[in-house]
Amino acid sequence: MTGPQPCFHCGEPVPSGTRFSVVIDGIAQPMCCPGCRAVASLIADSGLASFYRQRTAFSDKPASDAPPTLAEYRLYDDPTVRSQFCHRGEDGTENARLLLGGVTCAACTWLIEQTLLREPGILDAQVNLQQQRLAVHFDSARIQPSRIFALVEALGYSARPFHSSSQRDQIEQDYRADLRRVAVAGVGMMQVGMFGIALHAGDLQGIALEYQTLLRSVSLLVASFVMVYSARPFFTTAWRHLRHGSLVMDLPVALAIGLAFSASVWATATGGGEVYFDSVVMFTFFLLMGRFFEKRMRRRHMLACHDAEDSLPLAVSVRRDGAWERVPRRLLQRGDTVRVMAGETIAVDGTVHSGTSAVREDTFNGEYVPRTVTPGDAVFAGTINLEGSLELTVQQLYENSRLAALQQSVERAQRAKPNLARMADRLSAWFVAGILVITAATGLVWSQIAPEQVLWICLSVLVISCPCALALATPAALTAAASALRSKGVVVHGDNAIEALSRSRLLVFDKTGTLTEGKLQLQRVVPCGQTDARELTALAGALQQHSNHPIAYAFRDIGPLAQVTDPVYVTGAGVEASWEERRYRMGSERFCREIAADLPAAPDSSLYWVALCAQGQPLAWFGLSDRLRAEAGEVVAAARSAGMTLALLTGDSSAAGKRLATELGFDHVGIGLSPEDKMLQVRNWQQQGQVVMAVGDGLNDAPLLSLANASFAVASATDLARAQADFVVDSDNLGALITSLRKARQCTRIIKQNFAWALGYNCSGIPLAAMGFIPPWAAALGMSLSSLVVVMNSLRLNKSRDQGAA
Amino acid sequence: MESLYLLIPIALVFCVIVIRLLIWAIDSGQYEDLDKEASRILMDEEAGKQKPPAEGDKDNAD
Repeated sequence: MTGPQPCFHCGEPVPSGTRFSVVIDGIAQPMCCPGCRAVASLIADSGLASFYRQRTAFSDKPASDAPPTLAEYRLYDDPTVRSQFCHRGEDGTENARLLLGGVTCAACTWLIEQTLLREPGILDAQVNLQQQRLAVHFDSARIQPSRIFALVEALGYSARPFHSSSQRDQIEQDYRADLRRVAVAGVGMMQVGMFGIALHAGDLQGIALEYQTLLRSVSLLVASFVMVYSARPFFTTAWRHLRHGSLVMDLPVALAIGLAFSASVWATATGGGEVYFDSVVMFTFFLLMGRFFEKRMRRRHMLACHDAEDSLPLAVSVRRDGAWERVPRRLLQRGDTVRVMAGETIAVDGTVHSGTSAVREDTFNGEYVPRTVTPGDAVFAGTINLEGSLELTVQQLYENSRLAALQQSVERAQRAKPNLARMADRLSAWFVAGILVITAATGLVWSQIAPEQVLWICLSVLVISCPCALALATPAALTAAASALRSKGVVVHGDNAIEALSRSRLLVFDKTGTLTEGKLQLQRVVPCGQTDARELTALAGALQQHSNHPIAYAFRDIGPLAQVTDPVYVTGAGVEASWEERRYRMGSERFCREIAADLPAAPDSSLYWVALCAQGQPLAWFGLSDRLRAEAGEVVAAARSAGMTLALLTGDSSAAGKRLATELGFDHVGIGLSPEDKMLQVRNWQQQGQVVMAVGDGLNDAPLLSLANASFAVASATDLARAQADFVVDSDNLGALITSLRKARQCTRIIKQNFAWALGYNCSGIPLAAMGFIPPWAAALGMSLSSLVVVMNSLRLNKSRDQGAA
Repeated sequence: MESLYLLIPIALVFCVIVIRLLIWAIDSGQYEDLDKEASRILMDEEAGKQKPPAEGDKDNAD
């Protein structure tokens, strides 16, 4: 065998010994698990196999092995739950909106739409790839929402109700308004441009006054519409900031547009001077276009804003009158008794009433090693019950839970995030002041020389200084950098994030799941007797097949020695089974001592130790730890050589964090930190003037990510962490961090070059215009050319693909 | 050159029609998802709306 084959559906390696396959387009394709097999055979059987030919990325691995049953979705038919995402139309049909997970390319949208449209009762289904959203129009007499959820999840995508919020609605309205403005400016530009050509030709070869006035008046008409409809945001933004005493880039833009337009109106009315309608409208269009693209690139993820509450189950089993009943989570009350099965997410803060289990609390501490809970212990909403079923007494509902407190600290962090002033805005303050002084001086001088020329010369100074290239410099470079990063698997959606990234000198890492793989791996075997370690490992592998504790994953790839019989899984302790007439136990120290009293103590505390023993005979200790990512060392070294100071902030309180930090050579280490501690630390650094770049993956990192100036989430991160981060790094490739850092610095260099060019052009044009040497057609041509130079220079970010590869 | 007095208003009328058309398209959501539309043309086997499920199985074996 030449290494494991990738699963045809999800791309993960197929574990040795598994024999799942599905015939797709006549070829038997390997599958890694029953879940992938179920999804793939459903797709193949419904004649939609061309999905696999068209998709551009592997699909997500289905969350569970068995296709979900309809019963689990019945909850969505409940009127109170349903009313949150379905809207009833006048003719008795309903519109539902669902937020999807795992939709990666256009082929996914096609697959979902085709599957839904074949279902009787569904009138229309539209997936929006950008917003990861599904809109279904259905006949509620023939199909229920639960069926729609079941269909989507059977295809291997996750679905949950989409709750609209005022913020989301606002973003959507803004998008349409921006697009309308661009459209109007574009059509206006073409129209005014045509009249402009006639007028410029007239300037060169002569034109009858009658036709000149006609063309000018019509241009005025179209341009006024563009001014009022499309250019308004420049004026309102400039005015809003001016009232607060700050000068932003929109101010010179508004000034240039406003003055050039007014002068043209004056010239049209009096029949003298020059008109600049074409330049004004063209500039408006280019600038709106640049900003539209910049905004669109960020919008993608703003809409999928996640809430910690979304991670909680919608329905829970609660005891009512002695029987278990599924009810919507929102209807729970304090004091209710709820049941949580193994594998489910706990929906409330509560105390264990009966049952024993292990609970994974990576939500709060980022760690994957679970905590054992017994009756009387507290458990928290958002954590996952791994082993046995638990009955809980509800202490706090979501509003007052620890999870809600985490969500609030995310929001607090967002507000506290220091605002780095944009380069463009700092520059524009000087620029505006300079232009106004020069124009005033020019006016003063010319009023002495030729008073009748003053107005026109002042205007040509303002037009030539029109900050077209200056205003385009930033959006053009940012858009080019973002699309270059996208082709390397980094998605950018933070506001001002690229600029912040290029200026950051402090890189903060989370440990588990970011620097490490987030999965326990077998590191050491310490036999207690003479038995060969390999034999013991094989025996351990056989025993662990019957466990669903996370440590079992570490043994999954070990070929079992033989089949063990009578396995008993003891929750919170370990596994017991028979092999060749003897009883074996594997698990916690206490559990193993029960049958082998002379088990020695665990070798040291640096690893997570599990014992193995036979009846009356200790056999071995297995040391497990979370393995460092293969590329972690390289990335850390590269970051250091890029001049970054490195810090590790982890929720893990074991010695592993400290050891890792010394191994990799971190400058600062914080271990055993709560999400709030991490935030405090970052805020301290920020107050010392550091620009902080942070990398994380878990829900517990979300506050840190939203506070940092530039933050990264790895693609496998939780939804909330991804929504908070400025960059999402695809394919779990940490090397992309360094690529992004380099690209961001290159982008800043390009922006500076653009500024230098634009300012240089303006500075050399202004004196000539002030002396009255520049005719209007030359000013217009120069303006377009200088914008073109800026755009071409920015596109260099896209071209140098080989250079930045990390 | 008098024809300008006719041609320019005609151009303006077209201009208004185009703008109205664009705004209608934007408001009816046709520009909401530019990522999907770009590659939709590559997807074949478009099933008609409310196509009975039985047809889907054998017809599409291409």
